[in-house]
Amino acid sequence: MNKLIVLLLILLLVIGTQPIAAQENIVDLSAIKTYLLDKLAELQTGTRQLEDAAGVYYALAEAQAFDYEALWAEHRTEATDALLNARDAWLIASPLYEQVEGVVAGVPSLSEFDVILDAGASGAEDPEGGVPFDLTLRDGRVLERPGNLFGVLEGTLWGTVEAYSSGVAADLNVNSEVDFGEVLPDANVLLAAAETMNQYTTDLVAASDAWEPTPEDAFTALVVMVPTMSEYFAAWRDSRFVAGAEATRTDFVVISRLADIQDILGGLIVVYDSVSPMVTEADTNQDTQIQQGLLDLHTYVRDLYSQEQDGRVFTAEEADLFGSEAQGRAQTITGQIAQVAALLNVTLAE
Amino acid sequence: MMRRSLICLTLCGLLLPTLIASAIANPPQTAEQIRQMLFNAQVALMSGDTQAALQAVDESHQLYADTLDDPLDTRTQESLAAAFEQARDAAQSGNAAAFAAARSRVWSNLLNGSSQIVLDAVVRGDAATAAQWLPLRDFRISTRFSRPGADATLAVQALAAGQMTPEDARTAVQADLFDTYQAQLNAALIDAGEAAAKGFATRRSEEAGLAAGYFGILAGAYDEQRGETARTEAQAAFTMLVEAAVSDDAATFEQARADIAALLTGFRAAPLSEKELTRRAGQLMRFIALVPVEYARGVRNGAVISDLEIQEALTFHEGGTAAFLDLQNVLLERDAEAAQRIAVLLPQVLTQIRAVVEPAELQATVDEIHQLLTNIIPAEWQTGGGASDIDVIVSVLDQVETAVAQEDYTRAESARLEAYALLELGVEQRLRGFMPDKAAHIESLFWQGTGEQAGLAVLLAERASLPDVRSSVTDLKAAFDEARLMLGSGQTAPAAVAGNAAVIVFREGLEAVLILASLLASMRTAEQRRYRRPLLAGAALAFIATIASWWLATNLLNVLLPLGETLEAIVSLIAIGVLLLITNWFFHKVYWVGWMANFHSRKQRLIGGVVAISIGQTAGLVILGFTSIYREGFETVLFLQSLVLEAGVGVVLQGVLLGLLGTAVVGVITFALQVRLPYKKMLVVTGVMIGGVLLTMVGHTVHVMQSIGWLPITPIQGLYLPYWMGTWFGLFATWQGIILQIAATTFVIGSYFLAEYQTKRQRSRPHAAVESHAAL
Repeated sequence: MNKLIVLLLILLLVIGTQPIAAQENIVDLSAIKTYLLDKLAELQTGTRQLEDAAGVYYALAEAQAFDYEALWAEHRTEATDALLNARDAWLIASPLYEQVEGVVAGVPSLSEFDVILDAGASGAEDPEGGVPFDLTLRDGRVLERPGNLFGVLEGTLWGTVEAYSSGVAADLNVNSEVDFGEVLPDANVLLAAAETMNQYTTDLVAASDAWEPTPEDAFTALVVMVPTMSEYFAAWRDSRFVAGAEATRTDFVVISRLADIQDILGGLIVVYDSVSPMVTEADTNQDTQIQQGLLDLHTYVRDLYSQEQDGRVFTAEEADLFGSEAQGRAQTITGQIAQVAALLNVTLAE
Repeated sequence: MMRRSLICLTLCGLLLPTLIASAIANPPQTAEQIRQMLFNAQVALMSGDTQAALQAVDESHQLYADTLDDPLDTRTQESLAAAFEQARDAAQSGNAAAFAAARSRVWSNLLNGSSQIVLDAVVRGDAATAAQWLPLRDFRISTRFSRPGADATLAVQALAAGQMTPEDARTAVQADLFDTYQAQLNAALIDAGEAAAKGFATRRSEEAGLAAGYFGILAGAYDEQRGETARTEAQAAFTMLVEAAVSDDAATFEQARADIAALLTGFRAAPLSEKELTRRAGQLMRFIALVPVEYARGVRNGAVISDLEIQEALTFHEGGTAAFLDLQNVLLERDAEAAQRIAVLLPQVLTQIRAVVEPAELQATVDEIHQLLTNIIPAEWQTGGGASDIDVIVSVLDQVETAVAQEDYTRAESARLEAYALLELGVEQRLRGFMPDKAAHIESLFWQGTGEQAGLAVLLAERASLPDVRSSVTDLKAAFDEARLMLGSGQTAPAAVAGNAAVIVFREGLEAVLILASLLASMRTAEQRRYRRPLLAGAALAFIATIASWWLATNLLNVLLPLGETLEAIVSLIAIGVLLLITNWFFHKVYWVGWMANFHSRKQRLIGGVVAISIGQTAGLVILGFTSIYREGFETVLFLQSLVLEAGVGVVLQGVLLGLLGTAVVGVITFALQVRLPYKKMLVVTGVMIGGVLLTMVGHTVHVMQSIGWLPITPIQGLYLPYWMGTWFGLFATWQGIILQIAATTFVIGSYFLAEYQTKRQRSRPHAAVESHAAL
């Protein structure tokens, strides 16, 4: 009979822990990590290609003792090939990064990489929150906290930052005219930025590999990144795509910010899909609404982008209005996500 | 573009019947559809497609009329009808700016209608309706660095779970919604100004319309605080703003913005909770007291010697003024003259700082403010303590970061010392008492650091980089956030509460089963068996009565919930008293043997020697069954209330279910399987477990009493108990807690030995009597 009592007490203890355990948020988030690692693997292919092309261009310039006039005169074809390869690699890498930016920027343990690779301003623009690294060039010059690496490389490859350019015009598309961005870059800047980019990408892959996603990470990524629409739309409004030749920005000159927004939202939809089962448990209606909201917002941006691709040039006022609408929708979605996070007792990192 | 708009709008039209079908169940989604349809109309209008715009307006109006119109109040219905009419007129005339204003009016009216429905539902205690409509709302503007709150959602959830009264839930929901709409109102005014500066006419009208709409939601609160005349004046200013935006009258638009800014100064729509008022009062008094301290360090002989000290004085002044503005209305009600005097003195402090007056002069002004505040702020707000102390420490830590960013390490060290001094003088005593490991951790972070994080003192001495210092400050802030949470609530681990509830229910249930088993077992003969049914009926009635008692008790507690932690302390004290009494009874056998004998003698009186069962006997047996079980039920209900206050109904009910399951198992084994269990041993084991529950309850009750100031806090130097021992077992390293837990243990064990001693004496008495008789 004593055994019966012991068994009974053990049974009570075991059953007693069940309801408490059931409240814990157990959800399979491996899809987010798989998505992240897959995209980063592709990204790394791009950053390696970029580093290789920058290396070729650097060797050509070095062989001419960095006399860019001579380089263009004597090695026009090789230099053009190297630069077009580098540009192609950048064009592959940039959208791939945008597709994971929602996760990288939103997860506290990875967010520093977003500042370095894609989002951070220069130390001069933002002394406290700007990028933390300096670029040391092969010729000994140091570019102190120059800003995010995609931005530096874009400014170098398309010649929008004078300091990163050789000043020598180069008809890269061979149309006998010097079009926008047709200038030989400073090989030292290009190589240092491409090497640093590839190194940080390698570090990001390692950090992502070590990262174990939690519901806190996923919800934080969503509430951090979804409401950033106004920043992106403002960047679009002020970029060459809307402001044309009057644009003051040196970045977002090659790929429209609308494409970036679309990619970021695509990544966030993957994140939300992983936590959706948890949200359904708390509130089915809310889950439907959040899912619908994210899809609608994605469609909304995609529609604007396709109009732009079809040749429509938006006015600044239109860009502002569309941005305000996107921001309104994003705020609503963020608010809804924050509500379910609270109901599920998921702590959002500050 | 026109073709695209037409396709989009045609699709909307085709989907309309489906939308209507699902709309009533999901008001927020329907409202969002209406909003998006109107936005599409705006886009169509901007591209010159008035026909598509008109179609979209009509369809959105139709969707609204078919779905959301009915539940809204009449005033909102009328306002929405007018807004749709305005939208139609604007679409017809191709006026994009007027259409934007009308679109904003539709949306803000939907928000207003939803707010009304939610607040009315909460007051009625109708959490389901509130939960259905609450998502039709705007949220606080969030950024990468700030998250929207969820106070209203959590309040509705608590209301549904019976953990919050309708009145408290209404206060929380209203505070959240009003705070949100006031923030949105301010943002809309700023955005309208920016749009005007850029010459974006449509956006300017949209934002002006939104600002007017948000004010419409808050107008009632404005009326209550400032009176009808002021409200009418403010509404006129908003109308002027919208009209000027639509008609592109820049001068009037700017004038209206200026008027509105003046009219809204000091207005706070959401009333603060008692807790927030206490916190603001603490901030006000501490921030203002620090102004002359900083100022005196920054000024010598009529000249500024340290800009940063002056900047800090200004920062504290700004913080104090903000806290005063939040409290102003309440203070005006308490003592208008004193509050008005403070309102004059606060700007005077600013003037004195700017004029670089003598520190003594500034001190005199602040002393006067302090004296006035001491007189008009209720005493209980002034002793609130912890949370506002931590606010001040955190704000001083911000200054460490600012100073390091400016590479002024001397200044940073001074701020660090100031924050540490505030810790030493204020919350450290409480931290040492309740969570000494957290207190030690915070102290390490201030000085030498921990294994993972370098200490702030070391970093500043080494002139570490800003990111390193920021990391240390962030850790300190995180530690203070945790401390704030722990000091505020003194939470108990939910599993511990559920376990305690299970032990109580199982123990009392076991007793009920045994009483019933004993009474039924004594009705063995064929004639006596018929008495079992009324007895069991009485027991069943007792079970129902216990549930009714639970309902009554929780409702009573809901009424008393405004007492907060005081109520928890009172109920816990009662529960401890009864527990002590019962454990004493256990040992003196009064509780068990005497109680059981009483039941048996009553039973004998009822059925003894009678063959036919009368109505009186039936009633008597029902009462016997009822009283024998209901006593256990009533005790259980009483004990559980203190746990409900600690962790909420949901957690306690989990424990209750577990306890009932255990009781059911024993019941089945006893009654159905007719197996005799070792009841005495089970009673002893559960008795010991109840003793454990008693000790935990004593520990937590002392903690609560210390939190509300009923007991002092004297930390036990050198004794470090991890915080989990507090949340699980009520063990905190304060002399008061430990002594009272030892006292409770002594009482229980003492009762046992006393009972044993008395039993032995009773046993030896007959012998003694016989011996003395023999001697005679």
